Amino acid sequence: MTAMRVDVKVVMLGKESVGKTSLVERYVHHRFLVGPYQNTIGAAFVAKAINIGEKMITLGIWDTAGSERYEAMSRIYYRGARAAIVCYDLTDSSSFLRAKFWVKELQTFEEHCKIYLCGTKNDLIEADRSMRQVDYHDVQDFAEEIGAHHFETSSKTGNNVDELFIKVALDFSNSALELMRDEKGVDLGHKKDSYFYACCHH
Amino acid sequence: MCSLRLYPAQLQHTMSQRSERRGIHVDQSELLCKKGCGYYGNAAWQGLCSKCWREEYQRARQRQIQEDWALAEKLQREEDAAAYASSHGSQATPRSQTSQTPPSLAPFSKFEEKKTNEKTRKVTTVKKFFSPSSRAAPKKDSHEAKSHSPSFPRQLSVDSERVSREFVEFLKNLQKPGREIHKQSRLFIESMAMKKDLGADELSECVQDFYQNMSDRLMSHFKGSSEKVERVMDQVEKYIMTRLYKSVFCPETTDDEKKDLATQHRIRALHWVTIQMLCVPMDEENPEVADSVVKAITDVIEMDSRRVPRDKLACITSCSKHIFNAIRVTKGEPASADDFLPALIYIVLKANPPRLHSNIQYITRFCTPSRLMAGEDGYYFTNLCCAVAFIEKLDAQSLNLSPEDFERHMCGQVSPRGPGEAAPWPHAGPALSQLRRNLELLSSLETRQQQVMDGAHSLQAELSSWQESVGREVQEILEKYPLEIKPHASAIDADNADSDLLPPPLQPQVFAG
Repeated sequence: MTAMRVDVKVVMLGKESVGKTSLVERYVHHRFLVGPYQNTIGAAFVAKAINIGEKMITLGIWDTAGSERYEAMSRIYYRGARAAIVCYDLTDSSSFLRAKFWVKELQTFEEHCKIYLCGTKNDLIEADRSMRQVDYHDVQDFAEEIGAHHFETSSKTGNNVDELFIKVALDFSNSALELMRDEKGVDLGHKKDSYFYACCHH
Repeated sequence: MCSLRLYPAQLQHTMSQRSERRGIHVDQSELLCKKGCGYYGNAAWQGLCSKCWREEYQRARQRQIQEDWALAEKLQREEDAAAYASSHGSQATPRSQTSQTPPSLAPFSKFEEKKTNEKTRKVTTVKKFFSPSSRAAPKKDSHEAKSHSPSFPRQLSVDSERVSREFVEFLKNLQKPGREIHKQSRLFIESMAMKKDLGADELSECVQDFYQNMSDRLMSHFKGSSEKVERVMDQVEKYIMTRLYKSVFCPETTDDEKKDLATQHRIRALHWVTIQMLCVPMDEENPEVADSVVKAITDVIEMDSRRVPRDKLACITSCSKHIFNAIRVTKGEPASADDFLPALIYIVLKANPPRLHSNIQYITRFCTPSRLMAGEDGYYFTNLCCAVAFIEKLDAQSLNLSPEDFERHMCGQVSPRGPGEAAPWPHAGPALSQLRRNLELLSSLETRQQQVMDGAHSLQAELSSWQESVGREVQEILEKYPLEIKPHASAIDADNADSDLLPPPLQPQVFAG
């Protein structure tokens, strides 16, 4: 983790143990965690540069605590995010309900943030179809309704992981042309007042 | 000083009246002006009359001003020479300010003269670069002298001076734009000095606008090389915020201070929260983990001592890295946010960092925005904000406690070391047992002292009873053998000459003869 210049803030949202960290770990280090390893000290924040055409885009990927006890604080996390990857576990229907909660939050408070729905642990489904608790088409419908993209990934096999993040970077690169022109990249100007107050002030 | 000069004759009249009444006798020569001008002097004017005193005073003052001037000139010359020698002379900015302070006491016209004097001299030297700053300096000085406010020290602190120097040093590499940046920054700091009374949000807006303008201009200058812009902006931020720190950190117009105290009290009230309640995956028994925890606590406390927002952020980042290390050592795998946030909360609770709220507000208000929103520092800072928000809202549910238990903890009825729970402080383990040992020692000492006291008491009682018994015995013996004093047999009573005891008086023997 170097002090790389970060262009776009991507937050990972999702219930505990849906595999947010594994997803990031797979994408950044191309590996799946089985057993102990000591190479990196933290997977909570990573910066990863991607070449999109001639441009280099750096994704700053923010892991968030998924536990419900920190739910009230999640707004502090996704403030100013350009993209949110909302994860749910394909084998756990409750995780999808929680995902819906975050989608609603994002739509209300962070309209510039693009939403990506990501069903994780696809490898488990492929091994045993009966494990699936979240229907693909239901999510697809929901995604269309909210204007989000939908991916099913496996951090174990790496299936669809790169595609997801490349899509995030591509979308940013395209939207940046329009959006960034008038906002100069970081529009803290009118948001800075609420940066801390909105959540910590009661 | 009204010049009421009295002739001795006049005064003598009043004096004599008074001295008659009160009986004070003062020799007239003592009352006269020491200069011998024939007027009366006054002790308040060192024995001079008002006119002579004024003359004398003016002369002394003039001399003082001359000396100050000479000193200032000398300093300036030295400085110029030094500047020439190094062909840079970056020290000129802070030093020239101090050297100009004495003449500012002089009449203003003189001051002006000196200023122009200096200006012309400056222009002829290579130090063109510094002319805006040194010209601006006296203006600021005189302003500060006029509105002498305790919150804005006239003398620059060592820190500020060093930062100013470094800033100039850095900008020199940029040559012409560097001059412009320096000028703009100085002007901005001056303008901020006038706006001390604005609210915190307005101040923040001013600073952020300045950042924005500056980085826009730099952006066009460097033709879009954001790396260069960032490097310059870092220096600009450092310079500006070090200079403005005192007036904009925890400003009086906000209730930051009150909130600081509230947060501090809150954290103190939550001292009983254990690592288990927060589900922090850190094993403090492990020395490496314990070491990282201590370092993390130190770093987050250290934040308060930094002035530049970026430096404060660096403290948070360093603290976070130590936490990551502690988790990695404990779990054997890198920490995710699910591990990290509770650990950070735990560290904040243990550290109770000073002025936490003010520091967060300060960073939010005055940090360059890009750093706060996207980068790694921003991520850890956001986590800290979350930790504080969590601590403020923390209730029974967030610790998986029943509301009753929570209340009892908050009232201090239950100690952090409940039955069956591990000690929350591994370092406290040996200390506590030591404490207990000491207590035992103390109580055994107490019983022993009690024994000694008892012994002493019984000894005392024995002593007194012995004394009594001895007394009694003596009395008995005295009674048994009363003292009878018999008259001495050989006593001779001169008055009782006829007594039988006496041998018959010698009879004179008559010898017939």
